[in-house]
Amino acid sequence: MSSSYLLRRVGYGLLLMLGVVVLNFLLIRLAPGDPAVVIAGEMGGATEEMLESIREEYGLNKPVLVQLWIYVAGVAQGNLGESFFFNQPVAKLIADRIGPTILLVVTAQLMSIALGVFLGVLAARKPNGVMSAFVSVFATIGYAVPVFWTGIMLIILFASSFPIFPVEGMQSVKLRDAAWYVQTADVLHHLILPAFTLAIIYLAQYARLSRASMLEVLGSDYIRTARAKGAPEKSVLFKHALRNAALPILTVAGLQFGNLISGALLVETVFNWPGMGRLAFDSILRRDYPTIMGVLFFASAMVVVANILTDISYRWADPRLRGKS
Amino acid sequence: MTALLEIEDLKVTFNTRYGQVTALDGVSLHVNAGETLGVVGESGCGKSITALATMGLIPMPPGRIAGGSIRLSGEELVGANPSRLRALRGADIAMIFQEPMTSLNPVFTVGDQIAEAIMLHQKVSPDQAFKDAVALLDRVGIPSPDARARDYPHQLSGGMRQRVMIAMAVSCRPKVLIADEPTTALDVTVQAQIFDLLNEIQRDFGAAIILITHDMGAISEMADRVAVMYAGRVIEEAGADDVLDHPQHPYSRGLIDCIPALGREDHALKEIPGVVPPLHLLGDGCAFADRCEHANDRCRREKPLLAAHGHHPAACHGVEEGRI
Repeated sequence: MSSSYLLRRVGYGLLLMLGVVVLNFLLIRLAPGDPAVVIAGEMGGATEEMLESIREEYGLNKPVLVQLWIYVAGVAQGNLGESFFFNQPVAKLIADRIGPTILLVVTAQLMSIALGVFLGVLAARKPNGVMSAFVSVFATIGYAVPVFWTGIMLIILFASSFPIFPVEGMQSVKLRDAAWYVQTADVLHHLILPAFTLAIIYLAQYARLSRASMLEVLGSDYIRTARAKGAPEKSVLFKHALRNAALPILTVAGLQFGNLISGALLVETVFNWPGMGRLAFDSILRRDYPTIMGVLFFASAMVVVANILTDISYRWADPRLRGKS
Repeated sequence: MTALLEIEDLKVTFNTRYGQVTALDGVSLHVNAGETLGVVGESGCGKSITALATMGLIPMPPGRIAGGSIRLSGEELVGANPSRLRALRGADIAMIFQEPMTSLNPVFTVGDQIAEAIMLHQKVSPDQAFKDAVALLDRVGIPSPDARARDYPHQLSGGMRQRVMIAMAVSCRPKVLIADEPTTALDVTVQAQIFDLLNEIQRDFGAAIILITHDMGAISEMADRVAVMYAGRVIEEAGADDVLDHPQHPYSRGLIDCIPALGREDHALKEIPGVVPPLHLLGDGCAFADRCEHANDRCRREKPLLAAHGHHPAACHGVEEGRI
């Protein structure tokens, strides 16, 4: 992979981020609701002078384009502004919460890809078999069931009826001072249910997609060649076929990453996971513009990074794409 | 002496939406060590199915070997357990396919693909296998084999890819090499080079070759013996010169008449009228009857059997009755 290609991709990514920042800013200003009213409400009542002074203090009385310029210039210098509600820098609010969100989202992504592709490959081996039927039914259910419902059902089943996993949170309070490996194990223990809840929708999609993709690849001439040289079935499936079937899976994985982040918002709420999702949800209700925009900024940044990684993995998966841009 | 590979009365059926069709209806063939057997016929006559059955690569289902026997050095392959077949595939019987453009895996280097074939059947280190692969690429006439071994298939031309396929097929010195239309997708000049290479390989490695083709020109250049197939049956079998010079079956004659000759400008290219009938519509009579100018009532009623009537064995009532 050439470094100029990587540079160009990162350049496009930055340009895209600028667009995202501007769009977020304008969209939120277009939405109904006045932050000054909410802030004044929190302070215990709103007179017209009070609203004016709040607007003055937060710069909300300036023309929108001027506000936009101030915001974009701030972001370019790494300043995401101050939360209307917390009176803290947005960057700090997010820094405290982005770790758990990344952990949740990346775990869910890896879980759904690994399990989904594995199920899909098994299903493709016998397209009319039991496994194949199971994958189809499971995929339909997984896609149709809302993620918060799955989360609640899993909590009832595995945290209440059979208390194998903790109900909520990311860490047990009583283990705060334990050794690092005990704490790590504790976090993983807490992670399983929310990650699986989030993974289940996408897992089903990957299973279906890899089944279809594998079926197509398994009919190709080079699979016959692999069998003709005496390759065992396991190697035919997982080495010869899967590498070729990976491209559409990678494409979808890159696209799904954004959906995964919005799904994380719901899952974090259900499991009381201390991530960005909860912050976003509350900030929208509070009309806390800088915080909403900060969360959206980081969510978009994660999607842009995921897309760059997808592009890089394309080239790993398909040598025909190397040396082209 | 028993033949190296002996196919006897092989029946292969497929379940299709038209019901069960018989793709091979009692095919018998044999090939001896160091010999080249040409199998000719139009598309859909069962040549490739015969090859795939021999490799144990008929997709089952929908396919099924309904009867008969395939013996390699006396060992029965029909019904042999899958791991035994896998051990033989690529080692004792190898195959070259029609489409070099799509028969190599696009995501692995050609060197790795050949090395894999070696490692599947021989206890050698990956490094040694790759070195062997480079040596094989050199043997099949690929220039700067060391660099080409690190190329991916899309970086090579069609002719090069077919050479790679041949290198892969002969990597374990197979006893039988099946070449299924190995030159159909290639330029004419490259075709000749590939045939020369196959001849050399046969001389060096002593393999028996089954050359599947619809090209009588290729047969005259390569084959010692010829079996002509039509609609899932062998309808004529003899030495290559006998079939080329004295074709018995009207279908064989038709195939030979189709060879265009240079300097023969007096008439247009010949063709055999009609097409191979769909297998599910085959009746009781001779499958070629509808396309045959010599067919009579008996031909439409009764299936002719392969038997020596005239010069050499052919399955034709007309030949038997001396009408043709």
